[in-house]
Amino acid sequence: MNKVLFFAHLRDAVGAESLSVAAAGKTVAELKAELSAQYDLPRMETVMTAINEEFASNDEVISDGDEIAFIPPVSGG
Amino acid sequence: MNNRYSRQELFSPIGRDGQLQISRKHVLIIGMGALGSGSAEALVRAGIGKLTIVDRDYVEWSNLQRQQLYTEEDADKRIPKVIAAKKRLTELNSSVVMEAIIADASVSDLLDWAQNVDLIIDATDNFETRMTMNDVSQKVGVPWIYGACVGSYGISYTIIPEKTPCLACLLETVPLGGLTCDTAGIISPAVNMVVAHQTGEALKILVGDVDSLRNKLVSFDLWKNKYSAIQVDKLKKEDCPSCGKERSYPNLSFEKQTKTAVLCGRDTVQIRPGVPIVRNLEMLEHLLINQGGTVQRNPYLLSYTMDSHRLVIFKDGRVLIHGTKDIAEAKAVYHRCLG
Repeated sequence: MNKVLFFAHLRDAVGAESLSVAAAGKTVAELKAELSAQYDLPRMETVMTAINEEFASNDEVISDGDEIAFIPPVSGG
Repeated sequence: MNNRYSRQELFSPIGRDGQLQISRKHVLIIGMGALGSGSAEALVRAGIGKLTIVDRDYVEWSNLQRQQLYTEEDADKRIPKVIAAKKRLTELNSSVVMEAIIADASVSDLLDWAQNVDLIIDATDNFETRMTMNDVSQKVGVPWIYGACVGSYGISYTIIPEKTPCLACLLETVPLGGLTCDTAGIISPAVNMVVAHQTGEALKILVGDVDSLRNKLVSFDLWKNKYSAIQVDKLKKEDCPSCGKERSYPNLSFEKQTKTAVLCGRDTVQIRPGVPIVRNLEMLEHLLINQGGTVQRNPYLLSYTMDSHRLVIFKDGRVLIHGTKDIAEAKAVYHRCLG
């Protein structure tokens, strides 16, 4: 299983700060698409992803036990 | 030791040498809203040699809750932010050479301003200017520090040309049209936390202590009590068009820039995003309703009236700003509402 952490407005959209998801073998892009559809998450294609606190690109494959964090870049200043 | 910088000089990573370095450096801050105010005050108090501040907007009452340099009188008189800021900053430290520029930071302006500075601090409210800043930083070889906040959430990352990944390496899709302070609100501690991360890194750069730089993208949520710092080293892309081997600086090209046009005789400015986007009008309606003002939506467009401006937003990203002929004013309204 994988722990998935949500930041900023994504946390509000999901309604929890983390989820337990079976994501092993999926790419980051696939997981994004899946969660986006399930929780109606806005603009997931622009969200940055960390796997075990390291930046991960959309084509990176997730392993069992990896902790995934979704970090939205925001623009306010 | 009782000179005005004595406490900073007693801090050993800075010391007297570091203070001398700081007094010889020139920093450029783009945007003088909440983040810009905070960074400018910190650097001026720290004894920076020269500071150039740029902003296209004027002070409004809704700024006063977090934009620390401005007063009620500034809001009453609608003083341009950089003018009000320069006045206050000069009172704080008259030995700093201050340059205040009222302008919409265009590509050519940014290339020009960046020539003679040691560091650029990002305090803008939109990704278009940030991406331009990113490519200017790479082209001129000057570091820049990304910072942004919304709600109780904030994010920052330091970009050193030829060393770290650039912002284009990190963002596979540029997030145009995200949440803004005007749509999702903002609390001042989130601003101050981003400012602390940006000015902390700035001081390290200014005294030349590059080994102490964070090298991580930091993000936090002060209300949800979350803090994360992620490694980005492996993200530096050889083929990045902004910082890779065969770079073309795409964000400096005319095609990528937001196109504006004043519509004659209509007191209206049209703004077209530089990259194609499709607006989700339904989602936008929800965001804008929270701001007050009046929202009307049909399947083709959304109309939003706020104060003396009316925005008409089309699905293809095009926006008409009624109630002004001034491009800078229209762009300010546009980015405030739409990111």
